[in-house]
Amino acid sequence: MDALRYTLKRILLMIPILIGISMLTFFISNTIPGDPARLAAGPYADAKVIEELQEKMGLNDPVYIQYFRYMKSLLQGDLGNSNYSHQPVMEDIKQYFPATLELTFFSMFITILIGIPLGVISASKKDKIADQFARVLALIGVAMPAFWLGIILLLFFYLKLGVLPGSGRLDTGLAPPETITGMYTIDAILTGNWTVFTSAVIHLILPGITQAAVTIGMITRMTRSSMLEVLRSDYIRTAFAKGGSERRVLYGHALRNGMMPIMTLLGMTFGHSLGGSVLVESVFSWPGLGKYAVNAITYLDFPAVMAVTILIAVLFIIVNLVIDILYQVVDPRLNYE
Amino acid sequence: MLLELKNVSLSLKRDGKYVKILDEISLQVNKGETVGIVGESGCGKSMTALSIMRLLPEKAKLEGGILLEKEEISSYSKRKLEKIRGDKMAMIFQDPLTSLNPLHTVGRQIEETLILHTDLNKEQRKKRVIELLNEVGLPRADEIASDYPHQLSGGMRQRIMIAVAMACNPSLLICDEPTTALDVTVQAQILDLMNHLKDVNEMGIIMITHDLGVVAEVCDRVIVMYAGKIVEQAEIKELFINPKHPYTKGLLDSIPKLAMKKTKLGSIPGMVPSPDKMPKGCRFYERCSSAMEICREKTPPMNLVGEEHLAACWLFEEKEGEANASSRNKGLEATLHH
Ligand SMILES: Nc1ncnc2c1ncn2[C@@H]1O[C@H](COP(=O)(O)OP(=O)(O)OP(=O)(O)O)[C@@H](O)[C@H]1O
Ligand SMILES: [Mg+2]
Repeated sequence: MDALRYTLKRILLMIPILIGISMLTFFISNTIPGDPARLAAGPYADAKVIEELQEKMGLNDPVYIQYFRYMKSLLQGDLGNSNYSHQPVMEDIKQYFPATLELTFFSMFITILIGIPLGVISASKKDKIADQFARVLALIGVAMPAFWLGIILLLFFYLKLGVLPGSGRLDTGLAPPETITGMYTIDAILTGNWTVFTSAVIHLILPGITQAAVTIGMITRMTRSSMLEVLRSDYIRTAFAKGGSERRVLYGHALRNGMMPIMTLLGMTFGHSLGGSVLVESVFSWPGLGKYAVNAITYLDFPAVMAVTILIAVLFIIVNLVIDILYQVVDPRLNYE
Repeated sequence: MLLELKNVSLSLKRDGKYVKILDEISLQVNKGETVGIVGESGCGKSMTALSIMRLLPEKAKLEGGILLEKEEISSYSKRKLEKIRGDKMAMIFQDPLTSLNPLHTVGRQIEETLILHTDLNKEQRKKRVIELLNEVGLPRADEIASDYPHQLSGGMRQRIMIAVAMACNPSLLICDEPTTALDVTVQAQILDLMNHLKDVNEMGIIMITHDLGVVAEVCDRVIVMYAGKIVEQAEIKELFINPKHPYTKGLLDSIPKLAMKKTKLGSIPGMVPSPDKMPKGCRFYERCSSAMEICREKTPPMNLVGEEHLAACWLFEEKEGEANASSRNKGLEATLHH
């Protein structure tokens, strides 16, 4: 009950934040030079056509009128038409966002699976060889530019060995599965299409690893420092005094206590990757939100820029909310304040 | 005999080099007996306890013999130690709040000892947890079992710690200042509870404390430590009435002051020598009012100074001369075996 009330309160609090963000984006985009009508009309259109288009797009109205008009259709699920793809922005997002979502889930999965145990081992074997190894690995992960790693992986596994695909989401010739979530792996499972599933997973590997490399480094380092602090606690000594094995104490007592800062960092990186990683998506020709956003900015595709900005803001807020709720699940001392 | 320490020495790594923290500690604990260990802060009381439990910091060097129920446990592997920790020997720490995992219910924390050492099924464990909570004097046991440590008072938390330790009926219970973090009335209740549990379960208790009042309340025998060494041990009455070692006398002299102002042990003038700069003679020499020439040069042996009463001081050198340490220990053993 408390948890439910807390969640509702937090969701209501999202509204003013979103209004603020939408206003900011709208007005800032409006001050940027460049005429969407001219861009939409194409380079050879004459002045009259452009003028008509300006009128039609409502560009001559005062900015606040334009804003209200935008917000009204937004609430009806209409994000306007892209000046570049000439289809509703909503459709574009439905197409690009699941690709990013899928890549993000995959790389976060790798991050958690490798980063946290590596950090735990590193802390429990402090200053021993395993720790040194993990620390160097984490440092390399953090320090290495993602696009560079991407290119190296591409050269090696795709061009030289030819064992992994280097671009796209599916083998050419395979039709995407019926759209349910838009994430090919999930949709393939839901429709029982295993050929597509395998192909989708294989295509995720290189971009997934590239994106995970940096976050694994960060999570490992955070897990290590958080665990080192926890391992000094009295209750850890109690757990050993009861006869607990090292493994039991580390994973049963210490990790959960050290989870807070790890969760915070995971949430941040998760939110961040949801906005799309331009570099990784470019290297692997991954048709995701990052690429879409860059296109939108390059072509001054105003409705698309607005939509992406608002979407990223909403995602960040949701991730934050989920993390905050998870805090309370993990730590009984925090009661829904 | 339940527990015997034979010439236990401990060195810990500090700033890259080893320093001797405990020097040839020998002591015995019998079944159903409470042995107090007292001494100033830093004299090695906790390290003695942690050496027995082998919960030492990394890179600790432990020498000597530790026998628990005639089993030499100082050479036990990690695995074997995990089997007896929490089962045959258990330990209670000073601060019950920080010693309990804040994220687990107290019921679960008591249950963990049972999971580790018994074959009880889930239902039987639940029952035993309730039983234990009742034993340590907590009413509404089933409610408390699902509480988290922060929801309980200090005294209740220490009772939980006791329940955790008592879960498998250990034969040895080590308490490291179990009442220091509690207020006076709660302190007395906890001590009563421990006395009661000792009588019921026939275990041996090592009670580490700063507080001679606590010693008077629960201990049968007392060991006085100074700078990593045992300087005196005797029966409780004997020690209070007839202290021999100048250090013990100093400690006891500080009691009247205790009544007026709550000072801890160590109102004896001077400073304890640090472990890496131990003098070659008696470690108490610098602060001792009865110091003699020999005290600076040679470490005093342990002398039998009364019935079951030992003191390491040159004032009481055995008349028959340089008896070696092991024969003195045998003498003590003989006196302790009634
Ligand atoms: N992890 C450690 N590494 C190195 N030396 C330590 C460590 N822990 C304690 N020591 C040293 O060991 C000595 C004995 O410490 P111990 O904790 O046993 O004292 P104590 O008698 O329990 O004191 P107190 O009454 O304050 O609890 C001290 O000199 C202390 O500085
Ligand atoms: Mg101590």
